[in-house]
Amino acid sequence: MTTDEKTEAHPVEFELNGRRIRLQVDPRTLLADVVRHEAGLTGLKIACEQGVCGSCTVLEDGRPIRSCITLAVQVDGSSIETIESIAGHSADLHPIQESFQREHGLQCGFCTPGMVLTAKALLAENPDPSEQEIREYLSGNVCRCTGYVGIVASVRDAARCTRSARTSTVGTEGEGV
Amino acid sequence: MVAVEPMAPVATAESPAPYIGRKVLRSEDPRFLTGRARYTDDVAEPVGLLHAAFLRSPHAHARIVSIDASRALGIDGVEAVYTQAEVSGVLGDFTTTLPMPEVKTITRPILNSTRAYWVGQPIAVVLGTSRYTAEDGVDALDVEWEILEPLMDAELLLTDPQEPMHDAFPDNNFAHIEYQMGDVDELFAKAAHTFSKRFHQGRYMAAPLEPRGVMADFDPSTGELTVWSSTQVPHFMRSLIAGPLGIPESTIRVIADNVGGGFGMKCHVFDEEAIVPAVSKLSGRPVKWIEDRYENLAASSHAKETVCYLEAAVDEAGTLLALRGRFIGIGGAWPSHPWTSLVDTVVAAQHMPMIYDLKAVGYTVDTPVTNRCPTGAYRGVGWTVVSSARETFVDEIARELDIDPVEFRLRNCIPDRPFTTVTGQTFDGGSYQGSLRKVREMLDYDAFRKRQAELREQGRYIGLGLCAYVEPTAWGSDIAVQQGFKNAAYFDAASVTMEPDGSVTVTTGMHCHGQAHETTLAQVAADTIGVTLESVRVIENDTARAVYGMGTWGSRSAVIGGGAIMRAGRDVKANLQRMAGRAMEVAPEDIEISQGVASVAGMPSRSMTVAEVAAFAYYGGDSRPDGHEPALTATRSYDPDPAYSNGTFAAIVEVDPQTGEVTIEKMVICEDCGVIINPMIVDGQIAGGVAQGIGGAMFEDLVYDGGGQFVSGSLMEYLYPSATEVPPMEISHIETASPVTEGGIKGMGEAGALGGVPVLNAVADALSPFGTIVIEKAPLRPCDVLELIERARAAGPAT
Repeated sequence: MTTDEKTEAHPVEFELNGRRIRLQVDPRTLLADVVRHEAGLTGLKIACEQGVCGSCTVLEDGRPIRSCITLAVQVDGSSIETIESIAGHSADLHPIQESFQREHGLQCGFCTPGMVLTAKALLAENPDPSEQEIREYLSGNVCRCTGYVGIVASVRDAARCTRSARTSTVGTEGEGV
Repeated sequence: MVAVEPMAPVATAESPAPYIGRKVLRSEDPRFLTGRARYTDDVAEPVGLLHAAFLRSPHAHARIVSIDASRALGIDGVEAVYTQAEVSGVLGDFTTTLPMPEVKTITRPILNSTRAYWVGQPIAVVLGTSRYTAEDGVDALDVEWEILEPLMDAELLLTDPQEPMHDAFPDNNFAHIEYQMGDVDELFAKAAHTFSKRFHQGRYMAAPLEPRGVMADFDPSTGELTVWSSTQVPHFMRSLIAGPLGIPESTIRVIADNVGGGFGMKCHVFDEEAIVPAVSKLSGRPVKWIEDRYENLAASSHAKETVCYLEAAVDEAGTLLALRGRFIGIGGAWPSHPWTSLVDTVVAAQHMPMIYDLKAVGYTVDTPVTNRCPTGAYRGVGWTVVSSARETFVDEIARELDIDPVEFRLRNCIPDRPFTTVTGQTFDGGSYQGSLRKVREMLDYDAFRKRQAELREQGRYIGLGLCAYVEPTAWGSDIAVQQGFKNAAYFDAASVTMEPDGSVTVTTGMHCHGQAHETTLAQVAADTIGVTLESVRVIENDTARAVYGMGTWGSRSAVIGGGAIMRAGRDVKANLQRMAGRAMEVAPEDIEISQGVASVAGMPSRSMTVAEVAAFAYYGGDSRPDGHEPALTATRSYDPDPAYSNGTFAAIVEVDPQTGEVTIEKMVICEDCGVIINPMIVDGQIAGGVAQGIGGAMFEDLVYDGGGQFVSGSLMEYLYPSATEVPPMEISHIETASPVTEGGIKGMGEAGALGGVPVLNAVADALSPFGTIVIEKAPLRPCDVLELIERARAAGPAT
């Protein structure tokens, strides 16, 4: 698209990590660019710009989406969550992030925000995924460093920890399998 | 001639080390996990920043008659358009060569706006107030191209001379190299069996997830240039751009704080890394260019593509006597800067022997130039290429002679001790046979063969493939020569400082882009000095903050960085011991330092913390020893003797003969990198390499059509393996300490990239019931697998 096509700025309003933001954007503006450059949250990464690699993953109302092929105007009225907010205010790391450190689920770190958010969505849908289910759910997120061994182990570890935390809060003994 | 030269093992280590060898979690992880790591595109932008977009050649070979920028400059937000005419005023040429008589030298403008030699070559650069407007500006450039015939068939170029693409290469061949050691011809003449094959390793590349990116800020008032770049070699890049820019190295700062993967691709110094600073100087504004994926795939650096002809002479007893090789690298329009296209071909040729005890080797190497993207380094330069060719060949010979592939390798394998190959490589001892035996045991080999036979009865085809290897690591000067880089010289340096409060700052000339140096090199420093891990901070990736060095590539950082830290750390420790001895009134030799406490040997109650000793050293006044230098700091460099790792990879696959689909069931691996600093990091490097190797063997292919058009320009054509293609892995370790390096460490960052080789062999093994299977190319796509089956069926059953 070139600027000789007449475009008008569109209003867009959505929730970003719990805070309402309101902007006027050129219709061709990508969500990824709004989050990175307007909101200054550079955790999401741009690696393929065509929705293949998953580095730009953010959660829209809890579901993983590709912010590099999503126009900002498309998320009007939604709630967007990025890697910067998932640990919450009280902790340094979210339990999934802790598992990624414990099980060596990252090397260069570029795919990591997308990987962690996708893992969060998976565990919300399926608290006890098999190895194959983990691999299939993450198959839209490319990692060039780890060969996925550490990532799969991290997600399994996170699932185990989450289940066992849940079990202990309802007062029963034992760790999930 | 094969020489066996056992080296006397060097007496090792003082006391058992508390950190080296332990699974220490990565101290750098939190910033990546929380999205706070700042890669080049995330760095706070200087005020007044302009964004650059490149006009790149859409043609393989063309003359540029004219470039009209008037429409582009009419767009709101497009601030400047620069071509060679302007850029050459502030930027000189790149001269690329290797210091070897067989190698030619090319000097070329870094931005060439008059002639295009490959699809993706930068032709002009547009600066805009946003990336969106800069790209609009590129789209609005009116360019008149005069299309020329491209040179695409590299093999044909060697026999059918064409008009030279560059005056520097009259025969269109960057280098022709010949080598022979031992009486190759006689061994072939007398051999009971001779075999030959042609293997075409396809073109693939690192394609790190973070593309390249450069931001430059030239300050005309001070002459200082700051460059942020996604590079593996910040100091080395500074050295190579300083000359063409005419700016002293002391006034250039290169920052590469967080880099999203490199794998060798980012150890080159790219044209854009010089052009972006040049246009910052021209425009008087900070400029940022972030590569998109098309640019990365089409126009960064490609790798590996080589046509290999191999011949083997084998005696009656199944002993490999000699190998002949001919390696034709499918080069790009010019050699990558500065490593050149020889990183694949010459290194491949030198690594023909690896684990095999050969009496003679002869080879030729050619690297013709074609109208393609330049080729350069990618994880496991050259030796991954020759391993694909040789290891598939070895299996084919073993099948032909009806010898089990493990048995064939063991029969021909060098002994598990230091060994000098016929190509002059001084292996420093390893588990060459031991790792093969270990993998055979891990596989439960006989049980696998039984299961394979049973499944074949049911019409299912599983296969097992192997690749045994010796990995050249830690590129210092001597090992570079042993890889065929004659007259090369490499080293690295580290600075270790104990601060007045007892904390320790380490800087090195290495570069971390995922290898966890902040953790592993801290382990080394902590053990060397005797302080806690938490008290050590490792700083790299910034020429203004770290000592000069050559960056990270070629599996060099654990050995060279680690070794330089050990040397500098020992100097600091000796100074600490002098200070503590003075303070506690004993001889320095009687001071032991452990976990941040200096105590008198045999009297643990007499002790000081290192913080107290450091404060005494810096500020202790007259009570300090005479002639003492207060600062607890040392900078040392290290150029190690050659250190070679080794190991064995195995893959188990199932092939669907109806569709050609290959499913990799698992990988079984035994590696030996000498003394392991952190086993978690070693496993991670292996696993990541394996995924890339699988990519090159099965999926990733950079394709040009006959007219030189690049047709793999997105991740929908260039297929990364995902979590569903890369299998689970079982990794074991043998530790044969190097007798020649500091700490017995060997490098190990690249061998994983051989992970695709056993997959090729496993496919052949799975398909062997169909007839004679010869793997002639990689990647092996499903259609290639179907072709293997058809050809085997047509040729009739295997003998």
